[in-house]
Amino acid sequence: MPQIQLGLGVDSTETIINVIKMFALFLLMVQLVPLLVWVERRGSAFIQNRYGPNRVGPLGLLQLLADAVKFLFKEEFRPKKGVAFMYYFAPIMALLPGALSFASIPLSVPITLQGENWGPYNFVLQGYDLGIGIVFILGISSLGVYSLLMAGWGSSNKYSLMGALRASAQAISYELALSLSLVGILMVYGTFSFTEIVAQQQGPLTFNFMGQQQVWSFLPNWGIFYQPLGALLFFAATFAEANRLPFDLPEAEGELVAGFHTEYAGFKLLMFYIGEYGHMLVASCLLATFYFGGYNIPGVTPAEVTAFFASYVGEGNLSQILTAVTYHVSLLLRVLLFLWVFIHVRWTLPRFRYDQLMDLGWKTMLPWALFNACATAVILWLFQS
Amino acid sequence: MTLTAQDLLFYILGGLSLASALGVLLMTNPIYSALCLALTMVSLAGLYASMQAWFVAGVQLIVYAGAVMVLFVMVLMLFDLKSEIKAFSRGAVAGFMKLVAVGLMTGAFLAAIYNSADTLLGTSLAAHVDGTVSTKALAQLLFGKYVFAFEAMGVLLLIIAIGAVALSRIEGGTHADE
Repeated sequence: MPQIQLGLGVDSTETIINVIKMFALFLLMVQLVPLLVWVERRGSAFIQNRYGPNRVGPLGLLQLLADAVKFLFKEEFRPKKGVAFMYYFAPIMALLPGALSFASIPLSVPITLQGENWGPYNFVLQGYDLGIGIVFILGISSLGVYSLLMAGWGSSNKYSLMGALRASAQAISYELALSLSLVGILMVYGTFSFTEIVAQQQGPLTFNFMGQQQVWSFLPNWGIFYQPLGALLFFAATFAEANRLPFDLPEAEGELVAGFHTEYAGFKLLMFYIGEYGHMLVASCLLATFYFGGYNIPGVTPAEVTAFFASYVGEGNLSQILTAVTYHVSLLLRVLLFLWVFIHVRWTLPRFRYDQLMDLGWKTMLPWALFNACATAVILWLFQS
Repeated sequence: MTLTAQDLLFYILGGLSLASALGVLLMTNPIYSALCLALTMVSLAGLYASMQAWFVAGVQLIVYAGAVMVLFVMVLMLFDLKSEIKAFSRGAVAGFMKLVAVGLMTGAFLAAIYNSADTLLGTSLAAHVDGTVSTKALAQLLFGKYVFAFEAMGVLLLIIAIGAVALSRIEGGTHADE
């Protein structure tokens, strides 16, 4: 019987906690989806002077549960001439990129726990720290297109196929602008690792200008002040990647019915929605990590926060955990704000026509992203020499 | 015998890449072949990552699995490929060409394995390679020592793109007689 070493921890306790952490991260993403659906429905109603779902439970919150039950008990259906393997695999494939990329984003400061008889255990509050975060995220999210193509082909429906081709053409067009807008971030921070990018955004705004170090203590050291254009392009491109309005061309009632998921119903349809909201969640996390200081709290360092909690509950594990929770809430506030912007934009802006969408991607955003990369290189060279 | 996560990954990814590569050849529908090829690319990216070549793994995902194969699958879905399948699966000439191609590929692979065995065996993996550091080293080699070869590759790819545009403007092709 060969012994298996997983490399997830120094002993079985740490390994078990790390494995549980993986499940928790996945569930965190999945659990956010019904809440976001509720926010989306109530929010859209609020914007359009309606009530939205308000009958089931307090504020209509139990509507989510009712929806989930309805989705689970819906009749199983598969197009007769479809390709079974592709038809069933496409919804799973829609979930994978979001879940895998969400697990690689650091959600809070790393903590060290130690007891009298155990430890010390180092825990990073992310699924895995690959050290090459940006490239990994771009690579994984580019695989999401296969879900659309498989759904379109496996359904054996012309509307589905056309919707899938349209959606995947849109996704790979905007991937270029998305990747190029991150080149500026790479140049400014000089690293692929999310943890290091977040660590570099701590403290007041500090930069070299004409050979002198400038410190603007009234502003935090966030990426948005270095890369405003990059942030705008990144945010816009993520809308297209998540197939959200104003880029939700794959779903067009007048032309394509519901696009690539026309033939899907029940929980398989819900998995596409989880994929879409997972995209939004990852995009919001990345926006916070790259441009809005990650989990940093402006004005204080993690050591100061730990010392603050230690003065109340004493040095040790509890103060460490409280620090991690505080920093996680700090990130979560930003992420929820960006998610609300995603939802608000959907109910505010009209959609593009398809040629306008392609023009915007190839003729506006791509050149501006290239310009951003070149300008960042020149400015960095000028300021640092 | 101790199995590390590294070994497990190698056996899983190696088996997956072999199986999907066989799938590329054995599937009769071009779309399944293309999807199998995409799976091969993904498992190769996993193998690179297990060898701590983080950047190469990421680029393999982005460029091959995420862009090239997606375009292949999209184009295959747009076309009706029945006449092409017929044209390439029958006849003595096609069979002969297949045999020649298989022979050439086998020869090339055997030569590559034979020539690189001495350098590959005996080198062990570093304990942990930082992705950013190794990528910086790679970039310095690409844009310093090998910059002319790198630019030549770029020109070559540009020629291919221009050639494809030129070919697509020629009237005719496999559907000309229909």
